[in-house]
Amino acid sequence: MAYAYLFKYIIIGDTGVGKSCLLLQFTDKRFQPVHDLTIGVEFGARMITIDGKQIKLQIWDTAGQESFRSITRSYYRGAAGALLVYDITRRDTFNHLTTWLEDARQHSNSNMVIMLIGNKSDLESRREVKKEEGEAFAREHGLIFMETSAKTASNVEEAFINTAKEIYEKIQEGVFDINNEANGIKIGPQHAATNATHAGNQGGQQAGGGCC
Amino acid sequence: MSSVPPSKPWWKPKTVKVKRSYSSFPFLNAWEEFRGLLPVDREPNPGVGLGVEEGLLCQMVHSPEFNLFPDSVVFESNFVQVKKGRNWIDIYKASYTMALGVTSSVPCLPLPNILLMASVKWRQGQSQTWNRPSMAPKIILKRILPLKFVELQVCDQLQRILRLRTVTEKIYYLRLHSDHPEIVFYFWVRLVQILQQGLSITTKDPRILITHCLVPKNSCSPSGDSQLVQEKLQASQTSDSLMQLMANEESETLSQIFADLHQRNRFSSRSSKKTETKKDSSEKDASSEDSIPCTRDLSWRESFTCGEWERENPSGPQPLSLLSTLAASTRPQLTLFIGNSI
Repeated sequence: MAYAYLFKYIIIGDTGVGKSCLLLQFTDKRFQPVHDLTIGVEFGARMITIDGKQIKLQIWDTAGQESFRSITRSYYRGAAGALLVYDITRRDTFNHLTTWLEDARQHSNSNMVIMLIGNKSDLESRREVKKEEGEAFAREHGLIFMETSAKTASNVEEAFINTAKEIYEKIQEGVFDINNEANGIKIGPQHAATNATHAGNQGGQQAGGGCC
Repeated sequence: MSSVPPSKPWWKPKTVKVKRSYSSFPFLNAWEEFRGLLPVDREPNPGVGLGVEEGLLCQMVHSPEFNLFPDSVVFESNFVQVKKGRNWIDIYKASYTMALGVTSSVPCLPLPNILLMASVKWRQGQSQTWNRPSMAPKIILKRILPLKFVELQVCDQLQRILRLRTVTEKIYYLRLHSDHPEIVFYFWVRLVQILQQGLSITTKDPRILITHCLVPKNSCSPSGDSQLVQEKLQASQTSDSLMQLMANEESETLSQIFADLHQRNRFSSRSSKKTETKKDSSEKDASSEDSIPCTRDLSWRESFTCGEWERENPSGPQPLSLLSTLAASTRPQLTLFIGNSI
């Protein structure tokens, strides 16, 4: 299917926080309580619409367990967005956020949009991390923040789509050089010709403007 | 569910013209022309002709959408996922296949270190025209797995079934698609052997120092790479010696490749005269799953330690096509395989 833009996402966070479940909920709208440990990378994709434009999200679900994260750091390259996930019922997954963030910032482009996600919000009775703590961490590090539940699908759509909106806004503002594939954004076939017309004049309305 | 394979192969033997060029190793082009064995501009790459190189999976991972491992060749084939019953049973409809491929995260590695898995949905009547964009089947990249976390075995040689097991105990039984010629399964058998035993040009040579492991042995933190910069430095230093050794052994390896390709041709002609024979006991050993060592713990790959040929940042070109790497070396095993299969 034709798309105006392709955004590459990467999902990161400790093992067992629900990264693969979030992806499955977003792409297939279903929840799988038992999921194999991810090794390497698993892929998902979905089309969304922002500002009337078709945007393809190419999502890279990575291994959370350190042992299986072989060459994972190279996967950060060219990501436009990252979902940094922790489990609100496990304090340690929240404590590790700083390390994940350092890792992401070190290996990705500086403009990458990062969404902090406190997952498993349906397990309120087992909560170990207050929502306010997540909000504070996000504020401190310049991240977007949401609490989600892959099980109930609460806020899952919003998490992925709001990240895309943020990326899209950065394109509109000219922050992202859409001609540089290292930014994790690719122009779809339907916009490629239009973009060529605007070569050397990227950003702002030109970047977002299409033929239709 | 029974699979009804397309009547015609989806690649175009002898019609795909690909200029094999080693841009980073220009002397290889000159060497080939000098030898006159594979005139690069006149004959297609045999891997392309067999449908195992520059295929769907390769095109997808090298496409702008993924742009993965752009300088590395991909060895790939189409498989049908099956499960064990009284006989092997297809799991999905005939229009669904799995593209399985191996490649290298960096092109100068002597052996592949990445496994690619993709699902392919074929449309009817497109078998010979897949390479036209408007008619291409729908292919979706599903997983990238470091080969160090995967165990690949020949499960049933007669049925051309591989057994793929991940370190997390996910098991796939994959039957090579019937459209692939016999030689393609031979290359997978060779790959299995190479992954288990290595090649003489790999790190069995003590002069090649492995100083960097991709998976930090101390995994206290999610990132845990405090010495990353220093390790990268060491890796780049050792890659120089690797390059030198590869260059030294190039001539010998290429000789083996061409000899093997000649042998392949002989094999092809012999295959056409293939007659049904009973399996001998050694064949039974090879095809029986029980005969293949299968440990229940995760030690079969010395789990999470450095792969034999895995390095994070070696630089330099990969001089040989992956097919050639598979074809290279251990001719006695090829002879054995041919002997068993006809």
